[in-house]
Amino acid sequence: MAEETKFEPRIVAFLCNWCTYAGADLAGTGRNQYQANVRVIKLPCTGGIDPLFLIKAFERGADGILVSGCHPGDCHYNSGNYHARRRWNVFRPLLEFCGINPERIQFSWVSAAEGGKWVETINGVVDTVRALGPFEGYQKINAVGSDASGEAATSGDTG
Amino acid sequence: MEKTLKKEKLNSLITGLKDKGYKTIAPKKDNNLITLCEIQEADEIHFDHVQTNNSIKEYFLPKTEKILSYTIEKTKVSIEEPEGFAVKSVVFGSRPCDAASLPIMDKVFNWDCTDKFWIERREAITIVTIACDKCDSYCFCTSVCLAPDAKQGSDVLLTKISDDEYLVETETEKGEGLIKELETVFSEPPSGTPDRQVATVEKKFEIDKVKPWLDENFVHKIWAEFSTKCIGCGACTFVCPTCHCFDIVDECTMSKGDRVKNWDGCQFKMFTLHTSGHNPRSTQDQRWRQRIMHKFKYYVEKFDNILCVGCGRCSRVCPADMNISEMLEIISTDEGQPEPVSKE
Amino acid sequence: MIEALRKKAEELLKNKTVDVVYGYGEGSVPERTRPVFITKPEDVNKLTWNKYCVYNLTTYLKKQESRKLGKPAIVVKGCDAKTITVLIKESQIKREDIYIIGVTCTGIGDPPATKCKACDVNTPLIYDELIGEKIGNKEFSFEERYAELDEYEKLSEQEKWDFWQKQFEKCIKCYACSSICPLCFCDRCIVDKNQPQWIDPSAHPRGNLSWNVTRAYHLAGRCINCEECQRVCPADIPLNLLNKKLAKETEKNFKYRSGYNVDDELAMATYKEDDNQDFIK
Ligand code: SF4
Ligand code: SF4
Ligand code: SF4
Ligand code: SF4
Ligand code: SF4
Repeated sequence: MAEETKFEPRIVAFLCNWCTYAGADLAGTGRNQYQANVRVIKLPCTGGIDPLFLIKAFERGADGILVSGCHPGDCHYNSGNYHARRRWNVFRPLLEFCGINPERIQFSWVSAAEGGKWVETINGVVDTVRALGPFEGYQKINAVGSDASGEAATSGDTG
Repeated sequence: MEKTLKKEKLNSLITGLKDKGYKTIAPKKDNNLITLCEIQEADEIHFDHVQTNNSIKEYFLPKTEKILSYTIEKTKVSIEEPEGFAVKSVVFGSRPCDAASLPIMDKVFNWDCTDKFWIERREAITIVTIACDKCDSYCFCTSVCLAPDAKQGSDVLLTKISDDEYLVETETEKGEGLIKELETVFSEPPSGTPDRQVATVEKKFEIDKVKPWLDENFVHKIWAEFSTKCIGCGACTFVCPTCHCFDIVDECTMSKGDRVKNWDGCQFKMFTLHTSGHNPRSTQDQRWRQRIMHKFKYYVEKFDNILCVGCGRCSRVCPADMNISEMLEIISTDEGQPEPVSKE
Repeated sequence: MIEALRKKAEELLKNKTVDVVYGYGEGSVPERTRPVFITKPEDVNKLTWNKYCVYNLTTYLKKQESRKLGKPAIVVKGCDAKTITVLIKESQIKREDIYIIGVTCTGIGDPPATKCKACDVNTPLIYDELIGEKIGNKEFSFEERYAELDEYEKLSEQEKWDFWQKQFEKCIKCYACSSICPLCFCDRCIVDKNQPQWIDPSAHPRGNLSWNVTRAYHLAGRCINCEECQRVCPADIPLNLLNKKLAKETEKNFKYRSGYNVDDELAMATYKEDDNQDFIK
């Protein structure tokens, strides 16, 4: 099955509307190819990306996550990305402490003009996570349903 | 049927159970906890404790369990019911209070709707109880018509008769069947009267005085006075072998999901919160009163049983040192019995 | 000390400075105390003080049932007192609305609680009245403060995952950890929201991981290390390791320690333009 063919990681990218999303769009209109493993979720601002979104992505089967927004100083809402950066500074080590490889959750600043950086970043994430392999730890707890007798439930799909 | 079990035969008992296809659940030490959990070998069993931290109920009413799963395709919904949830097992070494909780809860799970999860597990699991040879100040089984060697709910009751010997008494056909299956492990019953080593549990209150007081005192200042310290965490209800409230939720994506039954409890403020925002039990004293009323009045009226076996877990675990037997002592000695003293 | 405590409580109740004193009383067994709420001067003898006074009584500031009793005086140890600083900063209480009876403390619990090993608040940092001899507060280095994390941080990624999975597996989702926490004061917790359901309510490994990570994270830069959550957890999960880890990162990155100084800006409600970003591409 999938294991025999090459493993293709599922990456979820949470992007801010004003910078990175526009940057990714630019890459698209410029016909810059990047790996197709990424599902993009557009949000108004990195400041509004609750870390629970990232947990949810893993619960729904992501192997890796990218969170990306405007460079410091460029936030459409002035300080959203600064607040977000504070949170990432503590959330990332917390996940690492719980045994989640920090390479599975990456962060970047990509502006609306940086189509090239977007391509480079997302390819980098895909390659890193491909090398790490499937997120087996999470897959296991996603598959374990609610039955104490250990019967598997199946609520971990992308729905 | 009477037999004896020598401690040195425990190994053969546990291997015997395994060979006969039973899963064995027994008390085991895990860091600071003594937990009833699955074991593989007799060495894992912990004996020298008053009570396990978790109660027997999780083997009949698990903390979380899938009751069905579904898939949605366009307009078609397919439902799959779980199977194989009732695994042939033996609970070895639970306490008489825990065992006694089972027939009490049988009544509610066989009431307006028969709960197949409960019933099938009850059929599949055999209870081998060990009578208590020690107790602590939280135990009050004797105040709720039970005893450290009570037989209710046990299929087999073991009572220590010397440092390395238990008296084995079968209480049900199921228990008798189990002993027969593993006959070689047991020896003949002792001749003469065995020296049963059973703890003495002090009686703390007169149960007969509790319900009449509750009948009269739905409104009483004691509820609030006693429960100001309660933080409403619900830990008491989760560790309780007789608390059986649950909540049903769907854990799902767009196309499929599981319908799940999870423990819930009356001590949470969310438990009774209506969609409108109104909460009929809006304060903790009302919730505390509900816990006492349900156990010592409503359940008695409905099923003719007290919904408490005096295991003391709720009081041991309570982060605020709320003590249920203390509350019942207050109630049963309140001067105005059964008339209230004051309704301030 | 107990006498001084009772006298102070009596005086406060008599002259109506406060309506109620939240304090420690005798428990159901000698190794326990329990929270008591004294409203009458003649009841002050119910107050006690000993090494079993584990509770952080400031948690009763968030409860309507205790708040109903009126303006409180509250008995706090040094660690508990830090909560009040945070509650003031987070606009949950006003300084003038409570009277703080600080007690000097050299450690509680039997065996002593982990937090007491590197305690630097034996004398509370904030109080209206101090009971007990003032103790010179010690100072500890950054490394000493977080020493208990070392053995866990050293583990490999897989070992960490396995360790925490084993711990979280025990969780029964009673939420005692957040009920007891004086800083978990949201009227409706994220776990109680189901439109959408961010955290699976079931006590299975998936739901338990997201709950435990979220609880800890919502206390990031706020937790004052009273260890109450860990004390009350019926599943004996070392929750404080998670809290400590977050405290460590907050201090390392933002030079902030929760509850120490009422003039400090709350770490997670502010930012600096030059905050660490070496992990951001
Ligand atoms: S009685 Fe104790 S355990 Fe039960 S809800 Fe109240 S504080 Fe929690
Ligand atoms: S109410 Fe308390 S003492 Fe009674 S059965 Fe439940 S946990 Fe045990
Ligand atoms: S941390 Fe300090 S103030 Fe708090 S209980 Fe321990 S010794 Fe006392
Ligand atoms: S107190 Fe412990 S068992 Fe209860 S929800 Fe919190 S972590 Fe889980
Ligand atoms: S998270 Fe735990 S240690 Fe921190 S303030 Fe809350 S109860 Fe205290």
